Amino acid sequence: MKYKVNFYINEEPIELYVDSNRTMLNVLRDDLCLTGTKEGCGAGECGACTIIADGKPLNACLVLAPELDGMHITTIEGLAKDGELTELQKQFIKHSALQCGFCTPGFLMSGTALLQENPNPTRDEIKTAIVGNLCRCTGYVRIIEAIEETAEVLRGGGQ
Amino acid sequence: MREFEYLRPETVEEAIALRLKHEGCSVLLNGGTDIIIQLREHLITPEYVIDIKRIPGLKKLTFSKEEGLFIGACVTMNELGDSEAVQANYPFLAEAAYSVGSKQVRNRATIVGNIVNASPLCDTGTPFYVCEAVMCIASRDGEREVPIEEFITFVRKTSLRSDEIVVGIRVPYTEGARGIFTKISRRKEVDLSTICSTVLRIKDSYRLAFGAVAPTPIRLPKTEALLHTKTLTPELIEEAAKLARTEVSPISDIRASKEYRLDVVEVAVRRSLERFMQGGAA
Repeated sequence: MKYKVNFYINEEPIELYVDSNRTMLNVLRDDLCLTGTKEGCGAGECGACTIIADGKPLNACLVLAPELDGMHITTIEGLAKDGELTELQKQFIKHSALQCGFCTPGFLMSGTALLQENPNPTRDEIKTAIVGNLCRCTGYVRIIEAIEETAEVLRGGGQ
Repeated sequence: MREFEYLRPETVEEAIALRLKHEGCSVLLNGGTDIIIQLREHLITPEYVIDIKRIPGLKKLTFSKEEGLFIGACVTMNELGDSEAVQANYPFLAEAAYSVGSKQVRNRATIVGNIVNASPLCDTGTPFYVCEAVMCIASRDGEREVPIEEFITFVRKTSLRSDEIVVGIRVPYTEGARGIFTKISRRKEVDLSTICSTVLRIKDSYRLAFGAVAPTPIRLPKTEALLHTKTLTPELIEEAAKLARTEVSPISDIRASKEYRLDVVEVAVRRSLERFMQGGAA
């Protein structure tokens, strides 16, 4: 049986018929071809599939497809506007806060959600915001620094 | 995932009717952080999944000194942890909620789900045990209340009947109560408890609850009796820590050995009571 869902992806209204036994992650990647959101563990541990739903970071692998109905979702594809990267994306590049890049969309979504909620996070708050995201290459220091400098720049105190 | 029918009732009554209609072949979906994994791993294969998240009223989170705290069935870990009333009056409960999973998981996982799941190591279990929280349960016959100690009956077993739904948890408020939550895990974040505990002090009596040391979270009545009305001294704390060890029955598993858990129970009791002795508990 298919379930009709109406929701927004990156501010665009979508109407789809989805199977109950698939996840939001499957819908994003397979039905909408938004493959920036990655599947790592599929069990809510690695954060590679982090998206922002109604202002909050969630693991897309832990949401059933029919639950999408009524949600407002932002994925990694929704960050850059008109080809212009967000400050956080620029800072990830500046700080070389990635290596293979698989975890990067998830970190960017967690970082974006944090800065929307708290424009002035402490280092501990940044760490708490990204505990649900695993990076197996670069480590976390550069990622934390990138988020920190983004906050500074957005507050108008950047170098 | 096997195929199933997804149902989204809009009232508690409708949800109960669906539970009755599909008795034995349905599962309730709340935050889904456990259920969706169990569906994916084929650990459960229901024909119907009943999503209660959109039922108005189940997000209720209220506090008053007279009524205590009421946590509706769909209140998430982060909503509870972020609540000023909870931070002010039950800081150890907020800490327990924040210790679960990651920020992403806590935005979905619910407090009630954590309890109904009835894992022996549920992080929010021990604060409720020491507060003597009560599960509020609805069925077609009306509502009933069950103390949490009688609600969780065994590993992943509760006294919830198949035609009932937990609508919330009521947590009594005790003036002047102070609590200390402890979670010991292999790593600091996004891990399950190797053991967890809450020690509550009400004037000069103590309540101790431990998780991951028995088939359900448990209180430690002998240790509580030993401490009752006594002034804490290093000798008394030592005696209590040794006694606590005899009241638990941990097993060895992937996270730790039985011996390690026994030692850590002692450590958690000692550290919690030492903090009380030094006046350090919130």
